[in-house]
Amino acid sequence: MQNIDILQTIYDAIAVANHARDDDKQISLSTETSLFGSDGVLDSMELVGLLISIEESLMDEGCEIALSDERAMSQSRSPFRSIGSLKSYIEELLQELSS
Amino acid sequence: MTARHILITGTSRGLGLALAEHYLSLGDKVYGCSRGQSDLRHENYCHFEVDIGCDESVASFFFALRKHTKVLDALVNNAGVASMNAFALTPAKTFKKIFDINVQGTYMCCQKALGMLKKSEHARIVNFTTVAVPLQLEGESIYAASKSAVETLTKVVAKEFASFGVTCNAIGPSPIDTALIKAVPQHKIAALIDRQAIKKMAQPADVLNVIDFYLKPESDFISGQILYLGGIS
Repeated sequence: MQNIDILQTIYDAIAVANHARDDDKQISLSTETSLFGSDGVLDSMELVGLLISIEESLMDEGCEIALSDERAMSQSRSPFRSIGSLKSYIEELLQELSS
Repeated sequence: MTARHILITGTSRGLGLALAEHYLSLGDKVYGCSRGQSDLRHENYCHFEVDIGCDESVASFFFALRKHTKVLDALVNNAGVASMNAFALTPAKTFKKIFDINVQGTYMCCQKALGMLKKSEHARIVNFTTVAVPLQLEGESIYAASKSAVETLTKVVAKEFASFGVTCNAIGPSPIDTALIKAVPQHKIAALIDRQAIKKMAQPADVLNVIDFYLKPESDFISGQILYLGGIS
């Protein structure tokens, strides 16, 4: 569970998702990319699919975490609104797990 | 047909055990769980000790399950508890236990299994309800209420999981001779059977038949359905 590259894990999951998306719907691999919300690129079920992929990758690394959050569908407070906020959220969860 | 990976909760006895034995006899790989150990020994059976009413126990279970399989073709949420008592005399502790196991257990398993289910070509969830819901049976208020919740959850999950290729349905057995109804007086069972269109006690095979139907590859277009046995609607 040590030394997991969270951002790369997110990018890997997005790369898989991009395979199933049209050329003009590709998700940019940048911390600035809006994932969910008014200017987000994912609908709610696409977000669920992405989070499950990330969760599974983290579990394969030995991290027993759940990316469920009561703020998930909030437009302004969702930890999943951008790639950057998602990365920070996962880092927080991993911090809690190790403390 | 290649072996399916089937997770069945509550496999230590009764219907859950019958389900596990049935799918093992068909050559499937079965993962089962219960609060204690299992007497079932089979090369294609893997048992886990889980408190299905405890969210942390269920989360740890799925973490452990992933070490055995990355794919699930079916999740059968069979684990459940019943309680017969007058509504006015039912303690809050009983209410919590019934909802923890029947509702939260089903919710947790559906949620935690999604990652493994979505890798299957014909992913299925089968939940358990009861004829006590449509019959609104006196003396089973909390049990029936918990299964009403399971029915609603089944219908909403069917919609939310459809984009992942996962169907979600429920079966509502009429009385079957299992441990779940051993405390119910005979005359109550007889009165209940008398309200069925087909007036006889159900057999485990009747339940297996419905679950076999839900699990068939040809049932890809069947989701969000509640099927009661005995001609009850």
